[in-house]
Amino acid sequence: MQNTLKFKLPDGHNEKQFFDKLADQFALIKEPTVTERFTICDTFDWRLFNKSLVLYACGNRLFLRQLAKDTILSSAEFPSFPVFIWDFPDSELRRQLAPIIKMRALLRLVDVQSRSVPYRILNPKEKTVARLAYEEFRPGRPKNESAVVTHLWLKSVKGYPKYLHTLAKQFQEAGLKIIKKEDVFFKALAVVDKKPGDYSAKVNIQLDPNMRSDQATKIILCFLLRVMRINEALIGQDLDTEFLHDFRVAIRRTRSALGQIKYVFPIKTTDRFKKDFVFAGKLSNELRDLDVYLLNEDKYKAMLPPILRKDIDPLFDHLRKKRSKALQNVIRGLKARKYAKILKDWDAFLNKPQRASVTASNAKLPVLDLARNRIYKKYRSVVKVGSQILGNTEDEMLHVLRIDCKKLRYLMEFFASLFPRKKINVLIEQLKKLQDNLGDFNDLRVQEEYLLSISMELPATQRQLKTTLVAIGSLVGTLGRERQMVKDAFADTFTDFASPENKELFQELFASKAKEDDS
Amino acid sequence: MTTLAIYSNKGGVGKTAAAVNLSYLAARTGAKTLICDLDPQSSATYYFRVKPKLKSGAKGLIKGGKQVYKSIKGTDYENLDLLPADFSLRNLEVTFNNLKGSKKRLRKILKPFKAEYDFIFLDCPVTISLLAENILNAVDYALVPLIPTTLSVRTFGQLLSFCNKHNYDAGKIYTFFSMVDRHKKMHRDIIATVSTAYTGVLQSFIPYLAQIEKMGIFRAPVAEFSPESVASRSYQNLWDKVQKNVLSQGKRH
Repeated sequence: MQNTLKFKLPDGHNEKQFFDKLADQFALIKEPTVTERFTICDTFDWRLFNKSLVLYACGNRLFLRQLAKDTILSSAEFPSFPVFIWDFPDSELRRQLAPIIKMRALLRLVDVQSRSVPYRILNPKEKTVARLAYEEFRPGRPKNESAVVTHLWLKSVKGYPKYLHTLAKQFQEAGLKIIKKEDVFFKALAVVDKKPGDYSAKVNIQLDPNMRSDQATKIILCFLLRVMRINEALIGQDLDTEFLHDFRVAIRRTRSALGQIKYVFPIKTTDRFKKDFVFAGKLSNELRDLDVYLLNEDKYKAMLPPILRKDIDPLFDHLRKKRSKALQNVIRGLKARKYAKILKDWDAFLNKPQRASVTASNAKLPVLDLARNRIYKKYRSVVKVGSQILGNTEDEMLHVLRIDCKKLRYLMEFFASLFPRKKINVLIEQLKKLQDNLGDFNDLRVQEEYLLSISMELPATQRQLKTTLVAIGSLVGTLGRERQMVKDAFADTFTDFASPENKELFQELFASKAKEDDS
Repeated sequence: MTTLAIYSNKGGVGKTAAAVNLSYLAARTGAKTLICDLDPQSSATYYFRVKPKLKSGAKGLIKGGKQVYKSIKGTDYENLDLLPADFSLRNLEVTFNNLKGSKKRLRKILKPFKAEYDFIFLDCPVTISLLAENILNAVDYALVPLIPTTLSVRTFGQLLSFCNKHNYDAGKIYTFFSMVDRHKKMHRDIIATVSTAYTGVLQSFIPYLAQIEKMGIFRAPVAEFSPESVASRSYQNLWDKVQKNVLSQGKRH
């Protein structure tokens, strides 16, 4: 038997009556009540919850524990509440959280107040032989809210096991149930109307294989519109960089869906919204670029020889200033009539009921057929372009292949629910490796160019300017060398992706009906 | 994990009172603490309201492992466990003597508990022979209560020569003043002399107080039944000094 048991008290129990009754049978000593306030935290996209972790701040300490368990995995003291991972003091907690929350801000989700009343149970010789604690949790706000969770802890004292047995038996006979998996986390969040895991930027939709293609496409696009709306509302608050990032990815996916899921809507409509979403995406290009450079600040500095690390600061100061202007521009852009009209019209279009007679040739096609056709075609195009590059690695071609891979990836994600999950995930993972290589190459190329061009913009009055330019030069040199390494790795990465095993799996999942629809 | 003995080769100097109060204060900081009552008179065990009984007595203790583990009792205080005394411990010395590696038996017995506890306190009986050697081999530090009287100081001198003669590191021995009566000129003079003559003298004074003797009535550490008393404050002061001057400094060289 465990040495600690947790019981759920029956609904409508009365704390005083319960302990009065217990005091008739046992000598009970009430100890001082302990009240604590704590705040449950997570990122906007529930990164900790998704890993079954709970992070909470109590006093000036942060604690990390597993969901539905009481053991603390790690904790750390903080001078002021850390929002980002880089605000954390160097600690085990920081090391555990870093790969999970990455660049996302920690949000304080809900305040909880706990009250714990410990009791000791004495034997006839007045020796403590077991411990009890009545524990309740209530939301920190609004005041006087009733308790959402009430527990009774029973803990044995070493060397006196029989008292735990006797009491546990008695509690169970009185209708108390032993609980193992219950977490105050859910009930506390429910009070403030938060549903753990209710937001993720990942495409998560269930399609029916026999559904009309136009209808299925609208489901995908509605999901993306929701992601756009959710993030758009929070970009202005500037909590972290990822609201904008998720917003932009949703736009990019929308554009890709309009381009890649062909002939499901009237051409006029598709063309109009394609243009509209190009416009909506452009609104925040500059801001996202600046976010990326600033997120990379530490990485860039680490690339520089120590003697130059401070010299690059004026560059980042300049980028920070540019960023605050860029943010204002984005906020204005999102409030402007043109953008508002695009989204309003888009919403109206997506929510318009399907018409029985349609002009678009693929509108009525079962979505499974369309998905197979499109994914297989795209896959073959990726393999064709990649094979050409193997012979002659031109930078421009790598760019073309990167875009093709992205389109393939989006298609596979849109339609993932139509295929065996394990198999399609294997292929997505393989594709991801290739995309990482191509993405790194592109990022490095763009970064080199940007750094060279931004160096012209730096204010000429800066005394440090010359050393700053030297530092930028050194950085561009390192990025160039890294780019070459990434490029050298392309051949192997691509060969892995185009392997016979992958080809077979692509054929198995997507090729069977492709020929019929190819025409 | 740190092992501390409250040890003296002289009786009636306040060893048990110090061991009980220090282990209580250590546990109150949240550290998992075990106090081992090695004295067959079982006073520490009595203070914690536990029956002085070891599973299979001293023999069980010597076997170590599960037998000892089963004898451990939780006290009335969170984080503080007790290994009770047993009347058979009066023969401990003789029993050790008949065994191989007789000087390191105690160290072997305590080894399995090092993982579970942050602090192990030993409340030791009066001894300066094989058991003393076992204690000195088993612990990181020995705290010696010293009554500021000529006889006490003389006994303390004997302990240091014993260490010297048997090659024990005197650097792990610390002393503090016990049963002090500041009204007595002799106490004041001896405190001054000892503080300059020896190293490892903690400037901590446990006064001679009725409150401390009342531990036998309340069967609890002083800080539990009389938290604001002078007695309670002087043990807190001793624990502070132990943490600051012993635990964070290590052995003297």
